Amino acid sequence: MTASILDGIVLGLQFGVLAAGLTLVYGLGGVLNLAYGQIAVVSGLVTLLTMEAGLPAVPAALLGLVTGGVLGLVLDMTILQPVYRRSGEARVLLSLLLTLGAAFVIDGYLNWRYPLKGLNLRISGEPLVIFGVRMRMGSVVASIITLVVIGVLYWLFRYTRLGRAVRSVIQDEEGSRLVGIDPQVMMRLILVLSGVLAGVVAITRSMVAPVNVRAGFSLTVLGLIVTVVGGLGSISGAFLAGLVLGIINSVASSYIGTFLSLIILLVAAAVTIVIRPAGLLGVRE
Amino acid sequence: MLEVEGVSAGYQGSDVVRDVSFRVDEGETVIIIGSNGAGKTTLFRAVCGLLPLSAGRVTFLGEDITGMPVQRVVRRGLAFVPAERHLFPHMTVEENLALGAYPDRPDPEIRNTVLELFPRLAERLRQLAGTMSGGEQQMLAVGRALMSHPRLLVLDEPTTGLAPIVARSAYTALGRLRDRGLTILVAEQQVPLALAVSDRGYVLENGAIGLTGTSPELASDPRVRSAYLGVI
Repeated sequence: MTASILDGIVLGLQFGVLAAGLTLVYGLGGVLNLAYGQIAVVSGLVTLLTMEAGLPAVPAALLGLVTGGVLGLVLDMTILQPVYRRSGEARVLLSLLLTLGAAFVIDGYLNWRYPLKGLNLRISGEPLVIFGVRMRMGSVVASIITLVVIGVLYWLFRYTRLGRAVRSVIQDEEGSRLVGIDPQVMMRLILVLSGVLAGVVAITRSMVAPVNVRAGFSLTVLGLIVTVVGGLGSISGAFLAGLVLGIINSVASSYIGTFLSLIILLVAAAVTIVIRPAGLLGVRE
Repeated sequence: MLEVEGVSAGYQGSDVVRDVSFRVDEGETVIIIGSNGAGKTTLFRAVCGLLPLSAGRVTFLGEDITGMPVQRVVRRGLAFVPAERHLFPHMTVEENLALGAYPDRPDPEIRNTVLELFPRLAERLRQLAGTMSGGEQQMLAVGRALMSHPRLLVLDEPTTGLAPIVARSAYTALGRLRDRGLTILVAEQQVPLALAVSDRGYVLENGAIGLTGTSPELASDPRVRSAYLGVI
């Protein structure tokens, strides 16, 4: 039991980062980015290809993260432009359709060009014993990286003027404009950040299990489930929901079976929505 | 300081305000009087860059700011406080004030001035803005606007939803800001209160300026008296 809970925490931290990237973009601009998982996969693939070309792991991973950020920027500057000109429900729907289209295009290209690629970052080292459980070095390193990323996000949103500005746009967009904040600029920054977070997920995930080029849609779906449970637009909700669902997923996998884990996650999400329609820490009424 | 010439604006192609011109000079407090639906809010939103103009020109400190989005207008020294206030409800009073100074670090001197002006805010720095009373929220909205160190403060119906006694104290605070030399433009339905602290005024009727004059002139004008001061 301790082993599956620890595994669940490792997974849950990654779920949290995955969902944070989606929920920030939604909370800030009412945009649901369905190409999110594909951005993660491309980041991972860039890391893999540059490593195959002879680059050491760390610079290759950094290059992967930069790629994720650039893809976020490209989305913002291209297909999201018509989305920004609409508001409310029309904006959400158009963003769903256009990013889904982008996801299909990227997915198709990856399947055609790199059908057999899978990123698998092996971290060498003796397993570490934590609470009497032997943890593989890959899981430990992945979790440390994820925790550092979460810490940086917390610091950014809690203590910096930029982070406060982003939160102000989420809470009241007109209010933020009144104090001189340009919501479009914040949106662009957050899409870049979101792309980097997608890359972090792909790279840390690949230290625990291989991430193949077809993982895009399932990453997006997982991210959406965690986002909805945590509350759309809530960063802390994303991390809380990530941990809860990570543990549920891991415990369910080892006691019931992996084949049912996605269904169990969906059930957990459905139950949360019935009890708390705005999600665990939802900010939108 | 602010010059509005022939401004028309509205929603979905139909103009709510038509061909409105007025000016605010440095150090003045100017009031726009109008009943509900006269177009005060539309006019202010258009002037401050929250609503596109269909005609006209707005000049602030000698610069043409027609159609400039509000986030850039604010940085030029024109702070707008809308009637709905648009505070950040899940942030503390302190954070709301700090954001008023964005993108700069809050100036401790201005912060002290704001807290001196509104001692209630000083007592509640750690309270979430969304949990405060209407009067306190209005103080915070004005305080947040002041944090950007504006040259001109534009207030749309600052007394909306406030009890009469709170509305009166809001105008006492405005009077003090005026005495410090701040230029103020205010739209108001509570005409007696606003006339008492203003230098000049314009009457907005059905989207057009009907009458203008100094505040004492307006206060003694029979039309203003019967329509807005409740005197027959």
